[in-house]
Amino acid sequence: MKAKFLTATAATALLAGAITTATGAVAQNIVTMNTVQIFGSIDPAKISDYTDYMAAVNLYDGLITVAPDGSLIPRLAESWTVSDDATEVVFTLRADATFADGSPVEAKDVVYTFERLLRLNQGPSNLFAGIVAPGAVEAIDDKTVKFTLSQTFSPFMATMPALMIVNADLVEANAGDDDAQSYLAQNVAGAGAYDLVTWDRGARMVIRRNTDYYGGFPENAIDEVRWVVTNDEATVRAMAASGELTMTSQYQSTETYDALAAMGRFRVESFATPTAFYMKLNNQTAPTDDVHIRRAIAYATDFDTIREVLFPGEPMNTVLPGSFSAFLNTDVVAPTYDLEKAAAEIALSAYAGQQIPITLSYVAGTQFEEDISLLMQANLESLGFVVTQQPEPWNRVTELAATVEGTPNLNQIFYGPTYPSPDSMFFPQYHSNGAGTWISMDWAASPEVDALIDAARATGDTEAQAALYRDVQQILADQQVTIPLLSQLQMHAIDQCLQGMEMVPMMSFEFDFRKFHWDC
Amino acid sequence: MEFLAFLVRRLLWSLLVLFGLSVIIFTIARVVPGDPARMALGPTASADQVLALQERLGLNLPLYEQYVRFISGLFQGDLGLSLLTQRAVSLDIAAAFPATLELVLVTILLAFAFGVPLGVVAAHWKDRWPDNLVRAIAIVSAVMPSFLIALLLQLLAGYVLKGFPTTGRLPMGLEFNADITGLLLIDGLLRGRLDVVAEAARHVIFPATALALATMGQIARITRASMIDVSRQDYMEASRAFGVPSFLRMFKYQLRPSFVPPLTILGLEFASLIGGAFVVELIFAWPGMAAYGLRAITQKDLNAIMAVVMVSGLFFVIVNLLIDILVGIVDPRIRIRGKRA
Repeated sequence: MKAKFLTATAATALLAGAITTATGAVAQNIVTMNTVQIFGSIDPAKISDYTDYMAAVNLYDGLITVAPDGSLIPRLAESWTVSDDATEVVFTLRADATFADGSPVEAKDVVYTFERLLRLNQGPSNLFAGIVAPGAVEAIDDKTVKFTLSQTFSPFMATMPALMIVNADLVEANAGDDDAQSYLAQNVAGAGAYDLVTWDRGARMVIRRNTDYYGGFPENAIDEVRWVVTNDEATVRAMAASGELTMTSQYQSTETYDALAAMGRFRVESFATPTAFYMKLNNQTAPTDDVHIRRAIAYATDFDTIREVLFPGEPMNTVLPGSFSAFLNTDVVAPTYDLEKAAAEIALSAYAGQQIPITLSYVAGTQFEEDISLLMQANLESLGFVVTQQPEPWNRVTELAATVEGTPNLNQIFYGPTYPSPDSMFFPQYHSNGAGTWISMDWAASPEVDALIDAARATGDTEAQAALYRDVQQILADQQVTIPLLSQLQMHAIDQCLQGMEMVPMMSFEFDFRKFHWDC
Repeated sequence: MEFLAFLVRRLLWSLLVLFGLSVIIFTIARVVPGDPARMALGPTASADQVLALQERLGLNLPLYEQYVRFISGLFQGDLGLSLLTQRAVSLDIAAAFPATLELVLVTILLAFAFGVPLGVVAAHWKDRWPDNLVRAIAIVSAVMPSFLIALLLQLLAGYVLKGFPTTGRLPMGLEFNADITGLLLIDGLLRGRLDVVAEAARHVIFPATALALATMGQIARITRASMIDVSRQDYMEASRAFGVPSFLRMFKYQLRPSFVPPLTILGLEFASLIGGAFVVELIFAWPGMAAYGLRAITQKDLNAIMAVVMVSGLFFVIVNLLIDILVGIVDPRIRIRGKRA
């Protein structure tokens, strides 16, 4: 009996010691953040969504990156020159830039990365397809690389941060028979500030600071970032209460932000974003094919209630969010809520004097969208519309958007730029070549707008571009192609000790944890 | 021999069930609206990219051809590519299945370890206060939804038992590769990593408890009813008349045949928990099959949806076959009935 007791005591002591060792051997400054989606891919040629980019901007570096004011700043490239006709860009790489394995970043890595991106034809390749042909990226010498564009494409430089450079030697050695897709699905071959430690796809990812990172770190840098995949708000609160959580994702309810703020350890910060929230009107099916009906709907939209009560956001006067201030048409008058003017517009329409059937669609299960839709229904029915509510799951929305006939009359859609250029807001939404996706549920189909967007893409002169985009905004507003509701505020509850979060107008680049530091 | 024939018949029937399941899930997966290629490639993908992926996945083929490809892949262990995780579904399943299996095994262990004794206690003190108490516990645990229990336990962990884990299978600072069975409790023991075993136990106990309560209540009720039923059998009366001690009567003659009904229930519960643990898995950020399957459905990850359903179905069939064998061992009358059949 005594021997058993001693054995049990020894085992308990061993366990306790082992646990202490395991939990004690951690890095100094740890950030734990929840994310509402899983990381689908960390292969920079395949990343596509907000969550994928969140990991990629920490694991990989591009030639250039984006500053909070939207300007392009050096990263792996120390400088670049653009030819007068903007069809050739030459980058000079930093002499000290290295990959995580210590090997130098060279021009051949850039060439390999670009060719592989085009070969796989996924992820960010759509930014370059048709703009830079295969073979059009050349290594001039070890540290110089030239991109030759098939045509002048002014947003080209703005798309470059999405090109994240892989270690060509390492990737080629592990290419297998699938162009290293299997290898880069599990491993990192980048020059980023952080290395992958563990990744359990369904639940969590951990990255750790690469202390040899060529770019250096601020004082009290973040040593380790841990992401926990959960969209359950009770879990987020429990993690915060137990001390596990450092920072929330942006998609929490007001109650959760309040609960975390009440704990004292967190501050809740709002960041103005370039993501816009629109009421997209199908411009090609009845009754929203009539500009007077579209204007009537705009006048029947209670903007203040939506922005102040249902979903917090900043006002927009045109389809372009205010963060693109250099390109904004400030002469356009923001739409207002006025039921009398709405009635007057209906009287001018081809549908005057009739009952007007109309479909209002929103993403099913999204409470604030349902509330907005009900608010619209009340106002529209008071004007003589016969409203059909059409809640749809998101995957159904993407399918409906493929055809004019399938697209409902009104659709609540969020859309933000994928690269820091107004082109990212105009081309996919309002150019005819972008039609058929959920981004372009307006079905604008205007040759005039197409021509202006094409002209803006083809000029390297920023002032000329701005003038063209202002014209586009004026036309879109005159024709009431879309109703801009608000530009989104991004909210996070952040530990009081964590500093350095700044919004960047490119998808998830604000989560570059190299810029964060611990301040306690 | 007849019992073997009975099992072979069950096996053939199970294969038919799996075939039917494959047809149904394939049809449902294709009918659910939404373009999986578009969803996989993200919002900014061009029409060319979407078309290329549709061709690569065979989504442009006639439905029957797609089904043939699916079935032939299934027989070769190829479950296709996941659109969500961008890798082979078989790899995803291999990663997710052990997590769920471990959770379900601990759940069953807890349910059986507490459910059977509670049933025995209730039967022994039938219609007295212990019986009433057990029945009350059984009813409450059966009607309380597992997600509510999971939330309560998580609040307990987060707000009261500070430092107790609220998510995952292991602490994030603890690195361990469960490369033998995939079960942390087993692999930790086999590798001599007691720290991993202890942490895995700490992490699994709350989600497993949340799942176990309903099953425990059911087992307690069925064990009780079964024990009372057996106690009324002639041979039990005879053993009482012969003066066999109460303790021996209960544990040797009464408990063993009473195991059959709870064992059967356990089999069904085991299999259904594999696919049905999703709410608990989501709440505790448990990287298992149920959470994986749910994400697959919401993202229309066709291959993953079909794989999760087929693997769950296969598991259901296997567990039920095993339960049939076990029941035959515990209760020889089943074998006799099998011979007569």
